[in-house]
Amino acid sequence: MFRSAIVRSLRASAPRVIKTPAPFQIRSSPIAVPQFTPSIFQGARLYSAPAGLSKDEAEGRIVNLLKNFDKVSDSSKINGTSHFSNDLGLDSLDTVEVVMAIEEEFSIEIPDKEADQIHSVEKAVEYILAQPDAH
Amino acid sequence: MARLSGLQRDVLSLYRKCLREIRKKPTESRPNFKAHARAEFQKHLSVNKKDFSAVEYLLRKGHRQLEMYASPGIRNIR
Repeated sequence: MFRSAIVRSLRASAPRVIKTPAPFQIRSSPIAVPQFTPSIFQGARLYSAPAGLSKDEAEGRIVNLLKNFDKVSDSSKINGTSHFSNDLGLDSLDTVEVVMAIEEEFSIEIPDKEADQIHSVEKAVEYILAQPDAH
Repeated sequence: MARLSGLQRDVLSLYRKCLREIRKKPTESRPNFKAHARAEFQKHLSVNKKDFSAVEYLLRKGHRQLEMYASPGIRNIR
């Protein structure tokens, strides 16, 4: 009895399988055929070159970050050399926040000792450029 | 900025730790945690930096609080 039930269910399901259309029809077109062209680079894997941060880019990103920081007293003073507390009116806790935001922006972790030394955009840029894994 | 004393650096380090812990909290409650941490530090802004025992006491208290709020069960704060 079970066997007949199984056979019946197989029969019932079999046409369904056939009916489902193939989602992708593979058509051979002359364009899709990869042309094998031997080159002098053969065997060498061409990863993209490590894109080092340029000074301008790092500086621009930090300046942008500061512009979005709501505690900056005078956003017109933000430039590549501004000092966090003297020029931007940030206190030491704000400075910590800025440095943490920089950490997040460049996806690195700055140890406390170095973080305590960063008091200006210039210093931050300098530190970022010295980090090989900052991006 | 003037050179910071060891104790002052400890305070900033505690604040940094707090901010690092906040990153582990759900995104929508992060601003609340941040405001709370900030307010806790600002409460004691008037403490003299030479009042070592007071600052040390507050540091210990802060560390304990941080430990408490760092528990993953706490998802939001007001």
